[in-house]
Amino acid sequence: MSTQTDTRSSAVVAGSFEGDPRRYLRGLGGLLVFLLVWWVGAMTTQPSYLVPGPLDSVRAFIDLFATTTAIVVPVSGSDLVLPTGLAHLTETLFHYVPGLLLGASCGVSLGLAMGWNGALDDWLRPLVRVLRPIPPLAWVVFAIVWFGIHHTGAAFIVFVGAFWINFYGAYGGVEGVSTDLTDAASTLGVERDLSMLKLVALPSAAPQVLTGFRTSIGRCWMIVVGAELFGAPGVGYEIINASNNLAMATSVAYMFLISLAFLCMDVGFRLLEGRVLAWR
Amino acid sequence: MALSSESSVDRESREKITVRNVSRAYDSTQALEGVSLSVGEGEFCCIVGPSGCGKTTLLRAIAGLDDPDGGSILVGGDPVTGPGLDRGMVFQEYALFPWRTVRGNVRFGLDRPACDCADCEARVRELIDLVGLDGFEDAYPKELSGGMKQRVGIARALAPDPEILLMDEPFGSVDARTRDRLHAELLDIWAQTGQTVVFVTHDIDEAVTLADRVVVMDAEPGSVQSTFSIGIERPRERTSREFVDYVARIRDELGSPIDTIE
Repeated sequence: MSTQTDTRSSAVVAGSFEGDPRRYLRGLGGLLVFLLVWWVGAMTTQPSYLVPGPLDSVRAFIDLFATTTAIVVPVSGSDLVLPTGLAHLTETLFHYVPGLLLGASCGVSLGLAMGWNGALDDWLRPLVRVLRPIPPLAWVVFAIVWFGIHHTGAAFIVFVGAFWINFYGAYGGVEGVSTDLTDAASTLGVERDLSMLKLVALPSAAPQVLTGFRTSIGRCWMIVVGAELFGAPGVGYEIINASNNLAMATSVAYMFLISLAFLCMDVGFRLLEGRVLAWR
Repeated sequence: MALSSESSVDRESREKITVRNVSRAYDSTQALEGVSLSVGEGEFCCIVGPSGCGKTTLLRAIAGLDDPDGGSILVGGDPVTGPGLDRGMVFQEYALFPWRTVRGNVRFGLDRPACDCADCEARVRELIDLVGLDGFEDAYPKELSGGMKQRVGIARALAPDPEILLMDEPFGSVDARTRDRLHAELLDIWAQTGQTVVFVTHDIDEAVTLADRVVVMDAEPGSVQSTFSIGIERPRERTSREFVDYVARIRDELGSPIDTIE
């Protein structure tokens, strides 16, 4: 067969952001206006701790890296000395990362299983309906009585949060697999259900699974800070600790740090997502 | 590949697909009722009919993707119990795996069950070449036009070397010029491989262009109305008197102006 007239291979559509500097300038403008409002608000509010100014906050942020703090590495129990800000961020990651990864794996697994197996779906759907609306932070009481409010307890709460978001990503993804694709696969020799799941359902659901995971990265930051406000060590705990000493600028500095950590993870994951889903 | 030395008449004398008294109902509609049909080995058989005449249902039943309520379907003498690699299927909306490249899509059927891979690479290259897609091996389906997607669909269905090719309105979504070329290329491939082809369409011109035999189906309930053996040498000229005559006779048989319904 020849391909003279139907070689319209789709041109890659250039991202519409690039090439228009006005859009960046608008964004920069928005930031500057915010900084101005913040600065004026801080200047005119008394007592000063109510609204710490931008400059004080930046100074506090720099101070986070001027001193060092020793933290205990879980499991091994050894000491780790890091710049203070980084040390507390690392403490957070000690429960954030295991909670997120474990929650995501379990959520994706159950979502795939329920989306794929009608009988299992029938069995578990009412239970899911009941458990799903419980906010992850409500589990904090059980986290405390079961694990104590330390790394394990906080990881448990993060786990609950990550679990549901990833569950729904995978569940919806597998449910949405087109029957055309499964039909095509069966005519091409896919016989076993498990092969169909691996060869068709999983790759077809990958976009939703990955979107679910990316959403959970952000949601778990909210949850982890909530858990730390109850006393688990980490940046969230430092926010409330600083405010107890009326060092509000330091609280703001830790808020920045969380924002920065989230941004790095989100951008990193988007890059990975773009590579994995190049076919979309 | 060399042309088969057998004439299509010799091959047709052996029955490849036998549909006996097949019925299939969905909720309130009788998609198929008492449908019987036989397709000879190496025959190019087109099924035409209005929407809802069950032509796609019949094709899916032969593919083993749909279970009839009654009757039996034999392929090569054996009853159909499910899909199999002896029957390749080309879908109306391509049904390509969007996460696989052209190569990956064509390769899919070769890997189940796992085959000798040194041979497989060559086979994939040969098929991509056969459908005229060399240079596009690493393209994803989203980067291809409709006509190119269906070329991939055909190559993918041909990969496991099926004895039967089932095609469900495969060129319904490609433009007229591309469709004309795809017809010629499909006939070339058919001549080279000697496969039995069952091709569903609602386009009478398309059926008369391609088929050895055109089966006309009727709707409500879906049933076989009549069959026409097309005795015109290929390649066929659409403007020739014989061609126009066949088209008119089939259109009469269908009764209503189906082109306006579809």
